[in-house]
Amino acid sequence: MKNRKLLLGIWLLPLALIMTEKHNLAAAESNAELRIAFIAYQNPDQLLENVKPVVGYLKHRLGMEIKEYVATDYSSIVEALRNKTADVGFMGPLQYVMAHRQAGAIPILGEIYNGKATYVSQIFVRKDSGLKKLEDLRNKNIAFVDPISSSGYMYPLDIFRSKGLTDKSAEKFFNRVYFAGGDEQAIRAVYNGFVDAAGIGQYSFNLLRSEERDEVVAIGTSRPIPSHCLVARKGLSKKTVEKLQEAFLNLSNDDENSYLLKYLYSVDGYVKVTHENYLEVEELGKRYDFIR
Amino acid sequence: MLKKNLLNNETGSGKTAVSNGVGYKTGLCCRLIAALNYAFWIAVFGIVNAPLLAHIVPSETYHPVTESYRRMSFVLNLNPVPWELVKSDIENLTAGFEEFDAERTAQIKDSFREALAELGEEMGPEERKRIARNIFEISTPAVADLLIEQLERSNNSLNDYRAAQASLDSARQLWASFHHEVRYTDPPGFKKIGMAWLELSTSLGSPGFLNDRAVPPEPERFLTNMSIIRDYVAANYCGEFQVPQDSRLEPLPRASVTYDGSRTIPTKLPPGSEINKQLPRPRQILNMAERGVDEGETVLIALGDMAFDSPFILGHPARSLLISCNTCHNKSITNPKFSIPGLSTRAGGLDVSNSFFASHANNGHFDPLDIPDLRGIRFTAPYGRNGRFDSLREFVRNVIVNEFNGSEPDPVLMDGIIAYMLEFDFLANPNLNLDGSLTDLASEEARRGEELFHRPYRGMNGRSCATCHVPSANFVDHKRHDLGTMMRSSTFSRDGSLDTPTLLGIKYSAPYFHDGRLPTIQAVSVWFNENFDLGLTERELGDLTTYVETVGSGIAAYEDTLQTLESELEEFSFFLSAYEFLKQNGKWELIDITLQTITHEIHAHKWDLQDPQYMSILNLMAETTEDASEAIAIDNFETVDVLVAEYRALYAEYADRLY
Repeated sequence: MKNRKLLLGIWLLPLALIMTEKHNLAAAESNAELRIAFIAYQNPDQLLENVKPVVGYLKHRLGMEIKEYVATDYSSIVEALRNKTADVGFMGPLQYVMAHRQAGAIPILGEIYNGKATYVSQIFVRKDSGLKKLEDLRNKNIAFVDPISSSGYMYPLDIFRSKGLTDKSAEKFFNRVYFAGGDEQAIRAVYNGFVDAAGIGQYSFNLLRSEERDEVVAIGTSRPIPSHCLVARKGLSKKTVEKLQEAFLNLSNDDENSYLLKYLYSVDGYVKVTHENYLEVEELGKRYDFIR
Repeated sequence: MLKKNLLNNETGSGKTAVSNGVGYKTGLCCRLIAALNYAFWIAVFGIVNAPLLAHIVPSETYHPVTESYRRMSFVLNLNPVPWELVKSDIENLTAGFEEFDAERTAQIKDSFREALAELGEEMGPEERKRIARNIFEISTPAVADLLIEQLERSNNSLNDYRAAQASLDSARQLWASFHHEVRYTDPPGFKKIGMAWLELSTSLGSPGFLNDRAVPPEPERFLTNMSIIRDYVAANYCGEFQVPQDSRLEPLPRASVTYDGSRTIPTKLPPGSEINKQLPRPRQILNMAERGVDEGETVLIALGDMAFDSPFILGHPARSLLISCNTCHNKSITNPKFSIPGLSTRAGGLDVSNSFFASHANNGHFDPLDIPDLRGIRFTAPYGRNGRFDSLREFVRNVIVNEFNGSEPDPVLMDGIIAYMLEFDFLANPNLNLDGSLTDLASEEARRGEELFHRPYRGMNGRSCATCHVPSANFVDHKRHDLGTMMRSSTFSRDGSLDTPTLLGIKYSAPYFHDGRLPTIQAVSVWFNENFDLGLTERELGDLTTYVETVGSGIAAYEDTLQTLESELEEFSFFLSAYEFLKQNGKWELIDITLQTITHEIHAHKWDLQDPQYMSILNLMAETTEDASEAIAIDNFETVDVLVAEYRALYAEYADRLY
């Protein structure tokens, strides 16, 4: 009898452990919270409002609480990923490779626009300027967007370097180099004739009104830039990453919910990405001293 | 044909000649070469891919103070001035002015309060203008001061990049309060200020990224350029800012030495305006097309279609804003988005007898009307919400000449517009029999609602809904009735009668009533129930609503695509099918309107093109019609013939790739 009790005890012990573990796992799932940092290019309050349906969808799809944050600059997103106040965040390609170096962040999803997971930078001039080729811009004035920008600085700079016109810096080739502070400011600086050229992402062109677009033309195009991405913090569980990828990928194919994409920077959809997709950005980042 | 022209090109002159046909051929060839050359560069540079719906103009975003200031400036010029809107914008402005120190904020508030205190019920024109000018002269220096305040804050916080950038962004956004007027009346000043903004954003430096690549600010450069903007704004808009008597209220930089008051400023609608059309587009049903008629042989209808889409039959400012009949009646159906602050109380409505579009025909009071659906218009006389015209022709002429300031239309053009409008058909509706009764396809709820629709009500003196909305007569009775929905001129006046609207297609033309005050059909049912003591229960109200929705529905009310370029180009060819008829009758002015309209429409829609390599072809088509217009201006009609043929050839060759 005693032995039977002992025997029973031996059998019951692992069962209790399993049950406890199961209980803990269930608690972990129900209490799990995914913190997403969105980047606001313009109005943070409006963005926070706009992403609510997306957050609702993810909450339902992942079965997790979602906490959304809005940052107005990429540094804040990286800081949040680094100190684990955010689990994932939206980022530009150059910022990602810098964040990868410094905070071990990894890209998990790339944005698709017009059916592509890449875009380009272009050098725009006014059509009536007489400027036909990149060489014509020697000693002219150019506007970029920001000193730390993929499509608004590094890639446009690379257009000139790949033609042998500049080295790491644009200063020697141009008369004046401006940072306009935004895509629209840069394209309008060309349209209004304040500068001779602007080096910016291709979609900046669409910020002009339709009747204005005929006044500017691209005379140079960069190599493809991998699109902006959703980046996960170092150490985020593989399971969560996969669930998140599945949820975002599903948005593109889900007729009922695909409308939510317009709230996510009006993308067409998402594609899985890894650091491999950003190796070229990293290489350029090193070349232009963004990464040391 | 085009290839042949290419081979025959010998002169190499790229100059566009419109003086004779031979000269044109040379010009066209080279333009085509240029176009193909451009296509090559597109292929090389991969020129920007326009996104879907690129022709939809994005709404401009403004600083809240700028938004209120520009809207208020626009409406202060109207007659009548919508004072409630002005008061609301003054509140928004004063909220923005809280940024000032308490004394300045209090001073501005006091000034506004004093100005508004002068508003009375019976103000003469002079008093109205004086108060409007006073408010404009208070708000303009306040906005300018705020801009300068933000600039100085930015300058004072250069060591804190984020604070400096936030203030600089605010200042730059506030500059949009004035830049439209500066751009057109003081181009050198506009450029000087534009360069200064670039200098400021650059000299602000950069905080770098993750403690790397920081660029320190350049205080001296910042101060120099800040001073350029501050001095310009202060000189033109601060202090004792005044608008000359009887001048339009607009922020002109009169103090600038490079200001040129003789220059024209293009009309700009105020923030909150929406003149884009809805997408997907409503499906238009033209009777002759439904019957399979070859559209190429219905030239009068083609002319009317063109005129309906043309801003060039209207006068300014509608023409310069590129507003046409089709802007409000998109494909003949209500554009529910159309709205202009001060002229609309809600989206989908407009006061058509206003001082903005045609001051000569202003009726002096604010009476916006919901934009009506024109489907089946040949069955719904009289015309206008108040049935003010029995004749569709008289109604349309009044729209062109008196509501939108156009010149007297050519009788042939009028014939065309009427011919076109008479083709507008109702949606097919399988729920309805010929006599307007419900078919077996209708739901049980709708069937119960039909009974309620025909039931006589004591509250309506024994009449039913069907008394006026006669089912067998397309749900109209061709009469005007006063249901008490209009604001009357006095208690016993009899000026509130309105035309009975049809219920066909009504499901797609919300909101409802002459002024669009009711958002849903259910709300209309409730309104009648309450105002005529119909005594309907909740369920009956639901049934009645379902019935009206069933009557007002139809097959495929909207197009099943968002892509419109292909069908637009097809329509332009239809427009041009009237060319030979117009030419035979010497109607070169109408041909010119047709060509201008096609040119404008190609440019408006070309950004929707999916394959950018054909953008050059669209540009060439637009250039061809533009040149034909110029040829008409110098009576070179032979060249017009050639150009029209070339346009047709281009379209025939590339139509299957232009979508």
